[in-house]
Amino acid sequence: MRKDQTLGAYLFSQGVSRRGFLKFCSATASLMALPPTMVGRVAAALENARRPSVIWLSFQECTGCTESLTRSHAPTVESLIFDAISLDYHHTLQAAAGHGAEAAREAAMEENAGEYLLVVDGSIPIGNPAYSTIAGISNLDMLKESAANAAAIIAVGTCAAYGGIPHANPNPTGAVSVSDIIKDKPIINVSGCPPIPVVITGVLAHFLTFGSIPELDELGRPKAFFGQSIHDRCYRRPFYERGQFAKSFDDEGARQGWCLYELGCKGPTTYNACATLKWNEGTSFPIGSGHGCIGCSEPDFWDKGSFYRPIAAGLWGSRDALLGAAAAGAAIGIGTALAARSKKKRANAAKETEST
Amino acid sequence: MTLLDFARGPALQWSMIILVAGVLWRLGGTILINAKKDLSKARKEHAVADGLKTIATRSLPAHQFEKNIRFQHFSGYAWHIALFVSVLFFAPHILFFESVLGFGWPSLPNSIILITAAIALAILFALLIRRATHPVQRIISNADDYISILVVIAPLITGILAFAHLGARYETLLAVHLLSVEALFVWFPFGKLMHTALTFPSRYQAGSSYGRKGVRA
Amino acid sequence: MSALDTISVRVEASSGNVRPLLHEIRHALQRVADGGIGTTIDLGSLPLAPGEEKRIEELLGSGELRAELDALGPTVLQETRYAGVWFVTHRNTEQEVVARFIEVTRVPELLLAQEVDMQRAVHELEKQLEVN
Repeated sequence: MRKDQTLGAYLFSQGVSRRGFLKFCSATASLMALPPTMVGRVAAALENARRPSVIWLSFQECTGCTESLTRSHAPTVESLIFDAISLDYHHTLQAAAGHGAEAAREAAMEENAGEYLLVVDGSIPIGNPAYSTIAGISNLDMLKESAANAAAIIAVGTCAAYGGIPHANPNPTGAVSVSDIIKDKPIINVSGCPPIPVVITGVLAHFLTFGSIPELDELGRPKAFFGQSIHDRCYRRPFYERGQFAKSFDDEGARQGWCLYELGCKGPTTYNACATLKWNEGTSFPIGSGHGCIGCSEPDFWDKGSFYRPIAAGLWGSRDALLGAAAAGAAIGIGTALAARSKKKRANAAKETEST
Repeated sequence: MTLLDFARGPALQWSMIILVAGVLWRLGGTILINAKKDLSKARKEHAVADGLKTIATRSLPAHQFEKNIRFQHFSGYAWHIALFVSVLFFAPHILFFESVLGFGWPSLPNSIILITAAIALAILFALLIRRATHPVQRIISNADDYISILVVIAPLITGILAFAHLGARYETLLAVHLLSVEALFVWFPFGKLMHTALTFPSRYQAGSSYGRKGVRA
Repeated sequence: MSALDTISVRVEASSGNVRPLLHEIRHALQRVADGGIGTTIDLGSLPLAPGEEKRIEELLGSGELRAELDALGPTVLQETRYAGVWFVTHRNTEQEVVARFIEVTRVPELLLAQEVDMQRAVHELEKQLEVN
């Protein structure tokens, strides 16, 4: 597909029928979590959509986000990624290497200045930029340089969105998120460790379809996917309401599929689409497989105590501190009482000597 | 650090330390304080039975006043029971107690807790209005009474809102709920909420003291 | 029987969403029967327990008509045993399910010949006539 060609014209020239196009649109609308009534608008927009250039930068990351993306079963994800968008730089997926690859990135940035979409996965070490470099360029410099002329930035994964695991205490590399550095560009946070693959493609599809960024929540995440908590959309919610909880991972309650709240599920404080979109072609999601949500799409999920500590249990420190407080309190109480007694005694004694 | 992290972490820790230290301070001080010297010979040396009896008898309204305090008395019971059920039998609360005490107990379904919490809130609210409008109650109420009611009403309201996901995001509501409970913890040892720990000891003390003097309590 | 089958995990949990969905379908069907407009329900947007999607499929059953479309991968449009209620499954060229819908309508729009396709067909037919 040529860059100046619209998607509609491209698909038509490829012999894709209108029916095929409509199917593509309804699957895309579903992917973007839009109601089916929006298919018409999606079709109209996609028909005139032009192929955006995408530059994908991978910083301090584990490649799990890219692994997730390539397992997306989204509507003909291949056509979306390789036809409908122009992935001009992605150092895991591209064939080019070395200077050639960097030259391609620079060329794409120049050619599409102000229009390209910048996708970032991984956090950026600013404690010492040498912790992560590409072609001798620090992540910090590469991000600033690539963001300067981007139309928008998609921070894929919790690392890019909020610092993620590299940012976890004690954060040895001084890792920060994209939004900690870039302040003057629209940033869409697609969090998750990794994000749900169809959410990544869904956000790309939204940009492709409407040429704009979707409505975001206060943490910069698309509301369409992160608008509701795992708990709110969980099929095990009725068990929570009835007070039926699995107490261990192999008790009768666990076998009956009861709520995992007591086993540390972070569903109530985690916003993501796992409970509806699910994983592996919609097969299941962690709670469906019997494990509580670990809250991976939330900032600092790694530092919120054990994955197996219930939310309600709080992080109130140790019993020792409480016992210490108890001992100190009792000591002060007894001490003041005894002091009062002896004072009274002395006063009485003084009174008696006075009267005699 | 988010508001919820603060509420679950340092705020919870420090409020619990203040609660425990404060309660033991006051208990220790109150129990060991000098009893008044007998000004005449005690009728009996050990009045344990009188103390225990008074704990029980004062659980019912005194005959002489029954007509006047019936509403006060039974609404007080209803509200305390509703509060205890809500506090002690809501599954997330039990998880909290379990994390502190090391053991838990069975919970009640959320629908029942919602009802008891609503009852507790409604009665407490009615009692608050009565306190503020009743000519006698108004005069004998001080700031301590109102602060004590406020720090109990706040967790009830925020708890119900958090439960129903009303007004804000759940984690914000939960954080506010925890903070309101922490305010209660901090106020608890220093105000009239200490009655929770002192009611029975002070009834006992009154009973046994009257017993020594030969007064019918 | 594999070792997996010996694990006594009950997969038929309930989200409580199946009955409301059936009610929604009933109301939508009544609307269409009264001459109103149709409804499309995206199954991907519902929180369903494991096995519930299959249960919905079984509850709706198969009716008289089944159509297959081959465009960017196969799509099956199966009328359920309730006339006017269709189960639509889109697959991509790798046969992976990309979206599932329940459509409540007389005929799913995807079955209708599309104007653009007909224009192209006319053009091609003309070319065919010129050749012969």
